[in-house]
Amino acid sequence: MNSRFRITRWHVMGWIFLATLLFFAVAPMVWMLITSFKSQFAALKYPPELIPQNPNLEQYERLLSPKNDVGRQFLRYMLNSIWVSTATTVFGVAVAVPAAYAFARFRFPGRKALFFSVLFRNMFPAVVFLMPLFIMMRWMGLVNTYTSLIITYLTFGLPLSIWLLKGFYDNIPVELEQAARIDGCTRFQAFYMVVMPLSAPGIIATAIYSFITAWNEYVYALTFLNDDEKLTLPVGLQRFFAEYATNWPGLMAASFIMSVPVVVMFLILQKYFVRALTEGAVKA
Amino acid sequence: MAQVDFVNVDKSYGSFRAVKDVSFTVGDGEFVALVGPSGCGKTTTLNLIAGLLDLTGGEIRVSGKVINDLDPKDRDIAMVFQNYALYPNKTVAQNLGFPLRMRKVAKAEIKDKVEEAARLLDITHLLDRYPRELSGGQQQRVALGRALVRDPQVFLMDEPLSNLDAKLRVQMRAELKRFHQDLNATVIYVTHDQLEAMTMADKMAVMSGGVLQQYDAPERVFEEPANLFVASFVGSPAMNLLPATRVERDGTVFATGEGWELTLSDRNGAAARRSETDAIILGARHSSLALHETETSGAIPARIYTVEPTGDLTYAHVEVGDKTFVISVPPDRRIAADQPVWIGFDQNKLHLFDAKTEQRIAQD
Ligand SMILES: Nc1ncnc2c1ncn2[C@@H]1O[C@H](COP(=O)(O)OP(=O)(O)OP(=O)(O)O)[C@@H](O)[C@H]1O
Ligand SMILES: [Mg+2]
Repeated sequence: MNSRFRITRWHVMGWIFLATLLFFAVAPMVWMLITSFKSQFAALKYPPELIPQNPNLEQYERLLSPKNDVGRQFLRYMLNSIWVSTATTVFGVAVAVPAAYAFARFRFPGRKALFFSVLFRNMFPAVVFLMPLFIMMRWMGLVNTYTSLIITYLTFGLPLSIWLLKGFYDNIPVELEQAARIDGCTRFQAFYMVVMPLSAPGIIATAIYSFITAWNEYVYALTFLNDDEKLTLPVGLQRFFAEYATNWPGLMAASFIMSVPVVVMFLILQKYFVRALTEGAVKA
Repeated sequence: MAQVDFVNVDKSYGSFRAVKDVSFTVGDGEFVALVGPSGCGKTTTLNLIAGLLDLTGGEIRVSGKVINDLDPKDRDIAMVFQNYALYPNKTVAQNLGFPLRMRKVAKAEIKDKVEEAARLLDITHLLDRYPRELSGGQQQRVALGRALVRDPQVFLMDEPLSNLDAKLRVQMRAELKRFHQDLNATVIYVTHDQLEAMTMADKMAVMSGGVLQQYDAPERVFEEPANLFVASFVGSPAMNLLPATRVERDGTVFATGEGWELTLSDRNGAAARRSETDAIILGARHSSLALHETETSGAIPARIYTVEPTGDLTYAHVEVGDKTFVISVPPDRRIAADQPVWIGFDQNKLHLFDAKTEQRIAQD
């Protein structure tokens, strides 16, 4: 057989498919970026300029400088978002890792409920729980606190995180821990020194997933938080620009800044996912 | 090195009793093979010694000290796992050094000991590789090395050769035996390959259904199996077993079955008399039976079912009533399927079992 690469109809179809996908994923991002460099006036021009005539960083300077009101507020929202997302991630991982390990290694009553809770959570749109949760939060006096958001994100995110991580632990042979314990580890050391490093891709993927989910969440943040001071980025942005009406470049610049962490993390995530999938947690 | 005592050891998983009242002693420096069919409790027994499982009852002592409640790390025992259980994210050198590192041994000393173990096992050139970059045989050596570096009181090995190909298995078998002699180590070795047990062990512990069936030197287990299970499990091909009825006429004891009768020698007759009931079982290894092509006195009629030449020996599968015997004959013997034959017994090598208790009946 000729080993030279031959382009078949299937290849072409694959490429067309990928190109379409890429177009719909990337084009809005590109447009957002282009618009953010335009002046407010140029952004309204029709037909639109594909390449801005006088590109400038004015919007970015304004948003990222604490010296003016707009910047101060934007940075405030960003800090709020970072705080809520980070807390959700840290608590989430701190709970998910031991829980997933327990689900994978130990037998106890109620163990089967995990899969059900994952399914249950994903059966309904998140909004369905909005009112009941709001009433609960008010009853507990948690409305207008970050705690309410963090608790909500955790209850929504944890089942899936635990489920994902459990898959990793299921794939790590028990014998590795047994060997470690015979080699001089306590149960905890065996977990910490042998199992944990092997599940690192899973832990990182889970962490990033929790972070992105919390970072992007809009509906609950909108309902649970009242004070302008406390808003997270998605909600803040929306209010923010309602006030400044038609500043498209400003909106685009803010949106772009907001999506940077998501994109960066997604790139890391996919690298770990691919690694976790191709190498497997452990090669026996 | 140390002596290991099992005293009435019991282990249940929930309501399932996996190890039932097992008692035996592994002497200092002895190589004991734990054999038995799949699921008989071998790994469970090993894990009990290692401390990976808690006993439900009884005691395990190492050098006279009860270790029931010690953590695995405090037992000074090393284990080689069936799947090797090498740490995938550590190099060979790090794998070998790990037990020492956990015991806070100085860096320089770890390095020396790792190099020494590597030299002993001929894996020095592999020290910087990761387990996934090694062949099965090489991984096996590393697993052995990780057990060796520490100079533990007892070595536990759970089917360490079962993942190797036949040729490598024979080679590693010899190496393991040699290594045991050189180190004079106490080894408890799990295998379901009874040939491995026969060739390597000082003593053999045969288990079935969680019960220790026999604990003795391999040749004794082979020559005097304690019961029907051991008789049929040890030896390849398995011992031929023939149910019979004990009949006594004029002071002579016969074993009879459908269409045959065998006069038992005085010694075997006396033994047969000790059976609780008339039902006895005759046992004979393939090599102790003779195949006659004509009717012979003292031989029982049978029919060739099939003939299996293996090179050195030819195995004739022979039908006796509804039982099939395997009898070895020289390869140049001309026999064919469906041929009527007569099986002659060597009464000095005949085994007798009580069909009711399934225990061996001693002959003397
Ligand atoms: N964690 C467990 N829970 C319940 N039953 C178990 C557990 N581990 C083992 N068993 C049962 O205990 C019995 C003995 O198991 P064990 O692993 O000791 O067998 P083994 O002799 O090592 O078999 P093999 O030759 O297949 O490795 C088996 O019937 C098994 O099903
Ligand atoms: Mg086993």
